[in-house]
Amino acid sequence: MSELIEIKIPDLGGADEVEIVEIMIQSGEAVEQEQTLAVMESDKATMDLPANMAGTIQEVIIKVGDKVSQGSLVAMLRPGASNAVAEEKPVEPAAVEEKKVAVAAEPVKAAESVKTVAAKPAPVAVASSGSAHATPSVRLFARELGVDLNNLNQGSGRKGRILKEDVQAYVKKVMTEGVQGGAGIPAIPEVDFSQFGETEVQPLSKIKRLTGEHMVRVCLNLPMVTQHDEADISEMEDFRKAHNGSKPEYKLTGLVFIIKALTAALKQFPQFNSSLSADGQSLIYKKYTNVGIAVETPNGLVVPVIRDADQMSLNQLSAALVDLSGKAREGKLPPAAMQGGSMSISSLGGIGGTAFTPIVNAPEVAILGVSRAKMQPVWNGQEFVPRLMLPLDLTYDHRVIDGAEAARFLVAITQSLGDIRRLLL
Amino acid sequence: MSDMHTEVLILGGGPGGYTAAFRAADLGKQVTLVERYPVIGGVCLNVGCIPSKALLHLAHIIHEAEAAESHGLSFGKPKIDLDKVRSWKESVSKSLNTGLAGLAKQRNIKIVQGLGTFETANSMLVEGNDGKQIITFDDVIIAAGSQATQIPVFPNDDPRLWDSTDALELNEIPKKLLIVGGGIIGLEMATVYDALGSEISVVELMDQIIPGCDSDLVRPLHKRIKKQYKNIWLETKVEGIKALKSGLKVSFSGDKAPESETFDAVLIAVGRRPNGFKIGADKAGIEVDKMGFIQVNEQQKTNVEHIYAIGDIVGNPMLAHKAAHEGKVAAEVISGEKSAFDALTIPAVAFTDPEITWMGLTENDAKKQGIEYDKGTFPWAASGRSLSLGRNEGLTKIICEKETGRVLGAGMVGPNAGELISEAVLALEMGADAEDIGLTVHAHPSLSETFAFAAEMVTGTITDLYIKKK
Repeated sequence: MSELIEIKIPDLGGADEVEIVEIMIQSGEAVEQEQTLAVMESDKATMDLPANMAGTIQEVIIKVGDKVSQGSLVAMLRPGASNAVAEEKPVEPAAVEEKKVAVAAEPVKAAESVKTVAAKPAPVAVASSGSAHATPSVRLFARELGVDLNNLNQGSGRKGRILKEDVQAYVKKVMTEGVQGGAGIPAIPEVDFSQFGETEVQPLSKIKRLTGEHMVRVCLNLPMVTQHDEADISEMEDFRKAHNGSKPEYKLTGLVFIIKALTAALKQFPQFNSSLSADGQSLIYKKYTNVGIAVETPNGLVVPVIRDADQMSLNQLSAALVDLSGKAREGKLPPAAMQGGSMSISSLGGIGGTAFTPIVNAPEVAILGVSRAKMQPVWNGQEFVPRLMLPLDLTYDHRVIDGAEAARFLVAITQSLGDIRRLLL
Repeated sequence: MSDMHTEVLILGGGPGGYTAAFRAADLGKQVTLVERYPVIGGVCLNVGCIPSKALLHLAHIIHEAEAAESHGLSFGKPKIDLDKVRSWKESVSKSLNTGLAGLAKQRNIKIVQGLGTFETANSMLVEGNDGKQIITFDDVIIAAGSQATQIPVFPNDDPRLWDSTDALELNEIPKKLLIVGGGIIGLEMATVYDALGSEISVVELMDQIIPGCDSDLVRPLHKRIKKQYKNIWLETKVEGIKALKSGLKVSFSGDKAPESETFDAVLIAVGRRPNGFKIGADKAGIEVDKMGFIQVNEQQKTNVEHIYAIGDIVGNPMLAHKAAHEGKVAAEVISGEKSAFDALTIPAVAFTDPEITWMGLTENDAKKQGIEYDKGTFPWAASGRSLSLGRNEGLTKIICEKETGRVLGAGMVGPNAGELISEAVLALEMGADAEDIGLTVHAHPSLSETFAFAAEMVTGTITDLYIKKK
């Protein structure tokens, strides 16, 4: 009999505390390599957990609802059994190379420590003994900075101990926010809707909840202004239709042209490809040009990021778009694919509307909204001519970008779309 | 009368005062220290902690030698040369005196000998052998300490009626010695004189010796000294002491009170009183409470902005290590640092045999305050190290918060217990829990292991004992 192998959670692209939403195996079951063992739901996407080798499941360790991180133990597997001819070479080498004894105790620990670092404060645990969980030197440090340690719910040290770094981070937070968090914002009062008629309660999906939190955070932190303009895309559409009519490998959508125009504008106006430092004292310019695309999925809104979009051709952009939006709709985007954007585009053009005010996907500093293009009479100096006009909306963080810059930025985009030859310049 | 000015004046050269002086000087202040005695070091160094520990060391050797006899090692009856013992004891204090004087000199601290009292909030009158002088100052730290409590109706002038200072002088070894007060000082002196050959009786007003300490920690000491001493009278009050030619006749009251008895000497060890009334505090506008304590905030500031106070004179416990830490705080605050005294506990040690020590929350207090706790107790009878010392009565106890396991208090009793408490204090200050302590590898075989074992009694991971599964 071969030895038992531990199946552990692989690198989740930086995601921590991922929830197990479904378990697709039971003990005694034979699995093949790459067979899905369980489904995890992270930040903004669900992920399959594939078996890294074929074998027979001896024991399932995880339960639905468990929060797991990289290294958490999933199941014990006796390799080599089933019909699949898999080498005993795991996809994730780290999973088996570690010493057995050491690892056996680890998963439990990991799960526990995740619990204690949870965002929710556990006031009783710390407060009941009457003093903050901090060593004498940290208490002295806090006194020097005038920080009341009781205001820090939990530290990042072992078992929630408050460290010097936590005190520093707290000071930074207070300095940038001025006041603590969103405290003082009145809640919307609870209403019993059943008094007006029949109702049904459905819990929000995890993605919806996280999006909601993110939106509130952005709205509270960013002074946002939205600028509107229209691009004349008559000629662009002529070209696009003609190209698509020639049965190419990739059909071009209007969006890829907009991405292209946006990357060009980001090169010209680098302040739009930046983020404000956490203390609000400096601007971090990004030397890469990654464009986020808001995608509607059955579970809610996700924003996959096209990396180095400035270096892609229209065809490549089309391919990337198909790939990412497909994955997004299937809920299979890894968290890493939703990070690192320069600016995002929210396009409602396929549905309708004349204008809207998108919310910046902070820490990005601006977002481009796209509504439905419409044939309109345009005065060309002598007469009204029918032109296909595309409404564009640019919302920007006024801490970073001024109105005139925003106007110039949007004009640059409309000009590029109005004459796509400019994109070659 | 000569006048001088100093940036920081320290009144009193005990452990609190000299620590404050050294720290202030190190932070760049010009410091003057006023001390009534010719040497610095205060009660602790001259007539307290240090000389008593020297004598306790000898007492320890006497007891060890006695005990060794039953283990096959005989030394015979010890010969005690009292003059030599005394001069050795004094040499210990002296070498520390000299060391401190050197440390003060290196820091350019001016030491003025004399009795200091406030003239105003910014000046002090110092009366010394060389006459009077006024010292003006920007800031002052009062570290004037405490003295043994006297009971006015007793014949305090009789040389056979001692306070702890008299007892440490070691002028004679009385045949029959009564110790009034079963606290730490009284019992330490009892240990010394018992070893030197006195017949000891102890009388205590409360229902246990070392009142305030958890009874399970006191029990092993009580059990041992009950065999060694003539009497331990609890819940008994001394009614009167009559000076007779044959000795001091002491009468007692209380339900368990014995008949009057005559002793060759009586040591009064019923506590210490702060010196708040002896420094002319009113002239500086400093508030002193009825007991003689000066109230201070956590920065050691009195009600007068630039006047600080530390040590015994600001409150209990009257311990050198508390005074020294407070002294540092006062010196740092004067030097513009944002220090404050926020230690979570001040450990207590009775250098009796066995030693008793505790820190943080006692079980008594936990019960009184209604705090939910888990207790782990490890008997030293299961410690190889203790057994190899020929002792089995010790005990290590840890008290943890029920919900989190965080250390709230600890206590030990047994030989060398006083050296074990610091780990518990560190655990408390660091916010460690029982698991942390159990997971910390302790050297074997050592008495310090017992602290980890007590913690494992809380977590249920102990293997050195067997706990029945519930």
